[in-house]
Amino acid sequence: MFYLQLALNGFIQGLVIGLGALAITLVFGIARFANAGTGDLLTAGAYGALATHKATGSLVLAGIGGIAVAAVASLLAYILVFKRLMGRSVMALLLASIGVGFAIRAFHGLLYGHSQYVFQIPLSRPYVFFGLRISALDLALMLTTALAVAMLFAILHFTAIGRQMRAVADNRELARVSGITVGRVMTALWLLVGAVSAVAGIILGMKTVVTPEMGWDMLLPLFAAAIFGGIGSPAGAVLAGILLGIAQELSTPFVGFTYKIALAFAVMLFVLLIRPQGLFGTIERVR
Amino acid sequence: MEGYLVAIGIVVLINVLLALGLTLQYGRTGLINFGHVGFFAIGAYTSALLALQGVPLVISFVAAGAFAAVSAWPVGMVSLRLRDDYFAIVTLGFSETVRIVISSEKWLTNGMQGIPGLPRLYEGIGGGLPAQLAVLVTLALVVIASATMIQRITNSPFGRVIEAIRDNEEAVTALGKNPASFKLRVLAVGAGLAGVAGAFYAHYITFIVPDQFGPIVTFYVWMAIIIGGVGRISGTLVGTAILMLFLEGSRFIRDLIPAIPEVEMASIRLGVIGIALILFVTYRPQGLMGDYTQR
Repeated sequence: MFYLQLALNGFIQGLVIGLGALAITLVFGIARFANAGTGDLLTAGAYGALATHKATGSLVLAGIGGIAVAAVASLLAYILVFKRLMGRSVMALLLASIGVGFAIRAFHGLLYGHSQYVFQIPLSRPYVFFGLRISALDLALMLTTALAVAMLFAILHFTAIGRQMRAVADNRELARVSGITVGRVMTALWLLVGAVSAVAGIILGMKTVVTPEMGWDMLLPLFAAAIFGGIGSPAGAVLAGILLGIAQELSTPFVGFTYKIALAFAVMLFVLLIRPQGLFGTIERVR
Repeated sequence: MEGYLVAIGIVVLINVLLALGLTLQYGRTGLINFGHVGFFAIGAYTSALLALQGVPLVISFVAAGAFAAVSAWPVGMVSLRLRDDYFAIVTLGFSETVRIVISSEKWLTNGMQGIPGLPRLYEGIGGGLPAQLAVLVTLALVVIASATMIQRITNSPFGRVIEAIRDNEEAVTALGKNPASFKLRVLAVGAGLAGVAGAFYAHYITFIVPDQFGPIVTFYVWMAIIIGGVGRISGTLVGTAILMLFLEGSRFIRDLIPAIPEVEMASIRLGVIGIALILFVTYRPQGLMGDYTQR
């Protein structure tokens, strides 16, 4: 039962990782680079939600506020930085994304300081299912995540802009000559990436504490899950994130709390060695 | 004042040594190593732990470089066949894992409390300015030797292959060379330099904690070589000097305007580094001293 409870906690951690990995895999698949600034978009979402929650007292509005803040930050990063670097070397984009992450973190540090913030959420008695304890907040967070993921997949698969995104991911030149405006697709992509990152950041912030470094500290598990799921595969990213989250929680009684992140690194290495295309990856040939 | 200048000189040269390793790895070979600080940390802790066991510093310094180089071996073995961006992520993960290990393994490294009271170089001279000067001269000699070594490597047949790998890896493969084996050796040499730099750092500061080895150190070095000019020894020197001017300068600003607390200054520093990285990568990727004929 102890392990089941851990697995449940890991599942919620895994939602955070899965959503963050989703943001990474979308950028990797469509804009073709590893965005090391993703973690700090999570942070932007968490602070945005925190500020909205303080101002309005409503958790729903807080979620919307956080999503809006991170989406705008993400779009700004594209317009100001990544748009100018399209077609440049891997190093240029990687290093620029590190720079974007630093800039966002510095902004948070200056605006909110370095003290830890928590969401002031009233505690409620947890529900007990077959001896498993689950709080109302956790249930709400799970439902929200499921909704967010469902919406994202609906956008990707059932709307014109989603089809265009997948077309650009498949073959950018072919998409362009077929009359797809790459600029519009990119704008939509970065808004979506910001929104998905924000949901991850808000859940993380509600479950733990909000600090300027919270997102950066998650970067390694996010990349590990994106690679594990198969680069460019949104479904794979979510699944891999959940698996990784559960594995991390289950490992803590054996290796201790601090080695959670190291476990993500080990998973990443293992996947790269054994099955570099990940669970569902097909688009990217790694080696 | 002399003491301050010597101190700055030592810190600059330690960073030059770090930057030289990256110059060989990225500038000459095209390896995007985002985990440089991991090898720096391994060198610092290796030398520190050996010195505390009574091992002479000469041996502990050599061991620091050797152990850092050897630790690059498994990292390279698993990741060098991968694409450039995967390599970058794996090395970043490696350096974070190193930091987690040295923070957690208290029996070996004393964890987050760190290791205080490390012996300085040339303590026999009696400390103070003469000993500091001797450290500076030693460091300068090591830097000159390393720079010469990198130039010799680059001008050798081996060097032509690694530059070819940087410019067109497929062509090198087509010529029957195995790029991974060349990259592995370059990674190890660069890591060794970082390890020696770590040893100098540990025995100069005399107190090491895991927090000193965060990823920001790696990106300080990246910023130095990008500002100075990728692949150039002169660029390494100029870039590191500018970086130090900025880092030290930000301390002076705080002395002038004490109203800014240190945490805010750290944020400002982080932001300036981030924005400088973006601007240089976008508008001047070859750096100030860079090759003006190449992109």
